[in-house]
Amino acid sequence: MADFVQLVVLGLLAGGIYVAVGVGFGLVWGVLNIVNLTHGALVIVGGYITWMLFAGLHLDPFLSLPVDAVALFLLGYTLQRGVINRIIRAPLLFTFLLTFGLNLVIVNTLLLLFGSDFRSVTPAYSGQGLELGTIVIPYVPLTALGVAIMLAVVLGLVLNRTRIGLAINAIASDRDAAQLVGIDLRHLYAMTYGIGAACAGVAGGLIAMIQAITPTAGEPYTLQAFVVVILGGLGRVSATVAGGLLFGLVEAFGQSIPGSGSVFANAIAFGLMVIVLVTRPQGLMGRLR
Amino acid sequence: MIATPDANARWRRMFLILGGILVAYALLAPLTSLEAAQSANVPLLADRLWFRIATYIAMFIVLASAWNIIGGIAGYAAFGNVAFFGIGAYTTGMLIAKAKWPFLAALPLAPVVAAAFAAVVGLPLLRLRGHYFAVASLGVGVAVGELVQNIDYAGQPVFGGATGLFLPIYSIENRGLFFFYLMVLAAALAVAVTWLVLRSRFGYGLIAIRENEEAAAVIGVNTTAYKVAAFTLAAALTGLTGGIFSQWNVFINQDNTFPIEYNVQMILMALLGGTGTVFGPAAGAVLLQLLIQFLGGTLPISFEIPFVSENARPIVAQVILGVLLVVVVLFVPRGVIEFFGGRARFSLAYLRRSLRETSL
Repeated sequence: MADFVQLVVLGLLAGGIYVAVGVGFGLVWGVLNIVNLTHGALVIVGGYITWMLFAGLHLDPFLSLPVDAVALFLLGYTLQRGVINRIIRAPLLFTFLLTFGLNLVIVNTLLLLFGSDFRSVTPAYSGQGLELGTIVIPYVPLTALGVAIMLAVVLGLVLNRTRIGLAINAIASDRDAAQLVGIDLRHLYAMTYGIGAACAGVAGGLIAMIQAITPTAGEPYTLQAFVVVILGGLGRVSATVAGGLLFGLVEAFGQSIPGSGSVFANAIAFGLMVIVLVTRPQGLMGRLR
Repeated sequence: MIATPDANARWRRMFLILGGILVAYALLAPLTSLEAAQSANVPLLADRLWFRIATYIAMFIVLASAWNIIGGIAGYAAFGNVAFFGIGAYTTGMLIAKAKWPFLAALPLAPVVAAAFAAVVGLPLLRLRGHYFAVASLGVGVAVGELVQNIDYAGQPVFGGATGLFLPIYSIENRGLFFFYLMVLAAALAVAVTWLVLRSRFGYGLIAIRENEEAAAVIGVNTTAYKVAAFTLAAALTGLTGGIFSQWNVFINQDNTFPIEYNVQMILMALLGGTGTVFGPAAGAVLLQLLIQFLGGTLPISFEIPFVSENARPIVAQVILGVLLVVVVLFVPRGVIEFFGGRARFSLAYLRRSLRETSL
């Protein structure tokens, strides 16, 4: 029983990271109709910013998260405004290839700047945890889960309560009509991508505290973000939260199968995704659009 | 500037003649490395390194042409075709290394197993469309690679595990030449299959699916069967090359048989050359593979990248490749074969027009 609870705890904590990685990806996909293969690379950029601030200035990693968000927002805004906007009307294959190309450029630039060594952010309190009987809840992932949920809540509020959020919703439901009522599409597309990138940056900061990162560590996060968004359903932040936590649980239980390791967890996750796609394409909590 | 029919015909003729000469040279030059030719004082036109590169080019002609069947003709953006390459490689590799089959008996099973796998995963996957299909197929590609590396049975890795799989060297005279011509045969087969598909009822059905799947179903195309058949056909060709690669390279592991980059490269090649055409993917494969080898510094004609140390070179090559990918996607969405085929002139106006068509 205690094992079971411990697995659930670990699954939810891992799920926090997937929530953080998933929300930005889901936003960009849902609004701009881009499967953003650059997402994992942006996550890692955020991770490196946190690492630089921690290693260079001894800044507490949680305090560097806003820096990640701002820096990645600017990067994302520029990428969308300068490059991705130009092929937004092309078939999906082109956005796919374009974002993969940007991914190559970012990852390899990071390799040139930082080398391929593993970097980790280890503040004094990392490794400690809350002990409840036999169950251990490590502090850093617990706080990361809190931050991830907060990120999702803030994103949800921005999307539903602010002018920009309403404009983004308008674009998502009908691009041409949104343009007709005077929404500046180029600016708002870039804003949307920028917000997505900012979420990726925060996710990266959280990831750097939990595991060591290298420039090439981002690609799995792109795939996982995709699975998370599929599981939850496209178009709602709350759905992505559910998808992320579910994915964390599936992974934790997958890894606990004797003699498997992370491999079968991946295979199970993808299997689950295909089953969900085939049987319930709108996702577990999604609405058909 | 409107290209006149005359200019079109001239361009096409020039392109065909030039291409024919190049192909003939590429096919015949390696023969000069034979001992018979050397003793007859024929000048050496291609050394081992050259036909190793040429073998890679032929391999990518198959990969790009096979992708073209599902991605270009049927319009399903498959992103996990490398799984078939790896499955083909491991089928042949396992049969040779573990079951001690001879190479020529093990090779035909590579396309069969890859095609069977494609048929099984294709049925659920091909119900998905657009982004969903693209990333689901990417996921399958990644998952198969990881499974192959990590499946253990009774504590022993079944497929060689992380150390990979070593094959006995195929004993034949002029091994390099043998594998070069084998790969060229596969490439010719892939192009021929594409040609046949495009001229058949099957091909028209696939094009109908690409243009409008519902309409295709309405006019009586069995869309599921057609899509799965196209996926399986692509898998068979890709698996065949994987099988040849395993014995040619002698050593296979997850990195050299399931590289994600191959997925992108084969698509980029088809796009460069023009998707849905017979020779486009092949032309794109030659161009891009030469460029990749050139940037990577493996070609005999090489160059120095300024301010870049020898160690950083592969990384810089990747950056250049990424930038190139971005530029190609932004400016040349309809592929270079449009120019060489004479259907469009390469001009600033063309670049501006294609940018305007796709941008916000």
